[in-house]
This record gives sequence, structure tokens and C-alpha cells, in this order.
Amino acid sequence: MRRYEVMVILDPSLDERTVAPSLDQFLTVVRNDGGTVEKVDVWGRRRLSYDIAKKPEGIYAVIDLTATPATVKELDRQMNLNEGILRTKVLRPDVH
Amino acid sequence: MKPRRTPRKKGNPLHGVGHIDYKDTDLLRTFISDRGKIRSRRVTGVTIRQQRRLARAIKNAREMALLPYAAPGRG
Repeated sequence: MRRYEVMVILDPSLDERTVAPSLDQFLTVVRNDGGTVEKVDVWGRRRLSYDIAKKPEGIYAVIDLTATPATVKELDRQMNLNEGILRTKVLRPDVH
Repeated sequence: MKPRRTPRKKGNPLHGVGHIDYKDTDLLRTFISDRGKIRSRRVTGVTIRQQRRLARAIKNAREMALLPYAAPGRG
């Protein structure tokens, strides 16, 4: 089990109130595989430094979690399949 | 010959900063130029290790659109 930090940029056309529940849905894969979610921090709408998918804004969220490498890989894969998610980044805060 | 004045070295700007986080854009912005390029160590005056970590943090922040990529042109 390792600690991870996952940053997600979501589509700005989404309602900000629905962000936390929909992220939680993704995180069930972590909980089912025996990992834990320490914190979900929704930053809210923020201007992007450059357009992503022709969008000038994005909703940022940062998730701290503990899980196995395979679980995080699966989480990242599922997030990238979703069209409401513009970009993700998985980092290990212990080494970065 | 006129003696060249050696410019006085400023202190380390990262003094007291333990961990360099890519999410801390206010800090990282002090290490990039107006065009978005990473300032060299000669300019920033940080240690070699800190410069490496800064560069990595800035590049991570760029990937997440927190900081701009370098604009074309000089500077």
C-alpha cells in the first residue's frame, strides 16, 4: 500500500455541487480493493493557464488516498475514460 | 583597468521552504520569467537539488495547467 495524491481537472460545465459525489463514485474502486481515501479537496472552478479541450476553465480537485499501485492505475484508467474529466495526475507525495 | 564590481549575492530565496509542492503556484511563479520560462540557477541562487525539484514541480504544474508553458519568442 502506498500513499498517492491524485489531481483531477473536471469539465467546467458540470455543476460544482455534483463534483464531490461523482468523484466519490470513482473512489469506490479504491475502497473495494482495501485502500483508504484520506481527503477529497474540491478547489472549485479555476482558470486554466491554457485551454484544455477548448475549455478555458476547469474544476480542480485533489484526492489523497492510500492504495496498491494496481488500484490507483485502475482508478486513473476509469477517470480518463470519463468525458467529464479533462485531465488527471497521479503523484506519490513521499517521493515528489 | 577599472576593477569590476562583483554583484553581491542575495540569500537563498527558498530558505525555510521544506517541501517544494507543484500546487504552490505562488511560490513557483517567482522562479519563472514573464514568458513562463524556468529561471536559471545563476539567477535564482538556489541549491542544485532545489533547482532540480523546482524544475520538476514547475513541469508538473504546467501539465495541470496551473502554470503556462513558455511563450514563443525571446526571454
